[in-house]
Amino acid sequence: MNTHELPMIIFTVLAQMSVGAFVVLGVVQVVAGRRFGKESVDKVTDPALYAIGPALVLGLIASMFHMNDVFHTLNVVRHLGSSWLSREIVFGLLFAGLGFLFAVVQWFKWGSPRLRQALAALTALVGLTLVYVMSMIYYTLETVPAWHSWATPAQFFTTTFLLGSLAVGAAFMGALMWRRRAAAKSGNVFHVDDATRTMLSSCLKGIGLGAVALLGVEFVIIPMHISGLSAAGGAAGRSALVFSGVWFIARLVLVFLGAGLLAVFLYRYATPTAQVRTLAIIATSAFVLVLAGELIGRSLFYDSMVRIGM
Amino acid sequence: MAEKLGFYFDQTLCTGCKACSVACKDKHDHAVGISWRRVAEYAGGTWQQDGDTVVPNVFSYYTSIACNHCEDPICVRVCPTTAMSQGEDGIVTIDQTKCVGCRYCEWACPYSAPQLNAATGHMTKCDMCADYRAEGQDPACVAACPSRALGWGPIDELRAKHGTLAAVEPLPDPAITRPRLVITPHRDAQPTGSGTGFVANPGEL
Repeated sequence: MNTHELPMIIFTVLAQMSVGAFVVLGVVQVVAGRRFGKESVDKVTDPALYAIGPALVLGLIASMFHMNDVFHTLNVVRHLGSSWLSREIVFGLLFAGLGFLFAVVQWFKWGSPRLRQALAALTALVGLTLVYVMSMIYYTLETVPAWHSWATPAQFFTTTFLLGSLAVGAAFMGALMWRRRAAAKSGNVFHVDDATRTMLSSCLKGIGLGAVALLGVEFVIIPMHISGLSAAGGAAGRSALVFSGVWFIARLVLVFLGAGLLAVFLYRYATPTAQVRTLAIIATSAFVLVLAGELIGRSLFYDSMVRIGM
Repeated sequence: MAEKLGFYFDQTLCTGCKACSVACKDKHDHAVGISWRRVAEYAGGTWQQDGDTVVPNVFSYYTSIACNHCEDPICVRVCPTTAMSQGEDGIVTIDQTKCVGCRYCEWACPYSAPQLNAATGHMTKCDMCADYRAEGQDPACVAACPSRALGWGPIDELRAKHGTLAAVEPLPDPAITRPRLVITPHRDAQPTGSGTGFVANPGEL
């Protein structure tokens, strides 16, 4: 386990999760909006949208701790023409800024729905570019064989969509439970109408299905990456040794439990008549397990920094 | 245009005494953990059959390395702040007023040249003793070498005199950063990428 790169582990995982969640919310808006109407979809997706903000800001703050001289942080945008790290900061801030703007216009329902949709699409595009730029920081280092591999962008995008979709599922159910508790406190009986139930259950079904598919992708990337490194020998071979032992197994098991077992449960159990509480527990545990697994995975990724040369 | 400077190193003369490393540390008053010039010991061996006898065929040689002030410095390329830059004479230096200490250059450099000074939070690296050279002296490492294995000067002159070899284990493929470094190889020198031996003193690098 790598703890001195903790700021980078937290930043990269949270930023990718935020991008993924934003994109998945967009997909839900488009797909579910057509079936259930924009109004009722907004009611479900808006709380999740607002939850992305704090996650992303937390990630950006964490990234500051990577700098050994925080007072010089503003300098990091000076080398846009050549440094992927400069580009990462700019796209990170751009995604955060656009996301904040979108959240504001969505909150106040400013502008036409069409205009808001265009802003959301632009934000999603900037977010996906951010994930690409992040991966290029590592991919372009030809001196680090474990990073200079197709597996880096592939893994970053898989993390983005896997964590993003499970975070959205957890946020949907979390918001619902919170409303229910608030209603109970004020003595009312919380009632979820049938349309919302149908919509939520089909969203969770989709998320469960997506998570299982992405788990499959991840479980193809990991062995291919490791066997490629081992076959290359030298520094590459030495970095492959990082992907073994207790932490590596823990990572695989956690992601498998969350995105495999629980995601299948979610897919099968999410029906309009299902217990809201049970659904909430499944969705939240799946998210927490995969988040833990991906954090460990990212830590191993930084551990695999074995340079060629001396 | 100013002449580009580089280092010369003769593997056949080096005894691995590390006077160059110590002179560098002393001159720049480095804290524990910072060592701009380091000496790698590369060792390996095989068995060789000679008639009915199998005899060990082993090798070991030293390579003294600091910053090579590369023609295509990957550290300058990746630096987000432009603190890392290359001067007219090819010397790569760090502007301490700009460096943010993100260590991206450290990840990138295959010679481990940029190193973090934890006290200032900035990266540090070899500038080929710019102050000594301004006074007409040799860099501290070159001056300290008892077997005269180290040299420095305009890289074109060094290459004309000693050849262009820089692809020797444990050094990386010179195509990556094009180091301004010329090596006279040890008789057992292994070509870069052959992986026939191992660095025997990784803790010192």
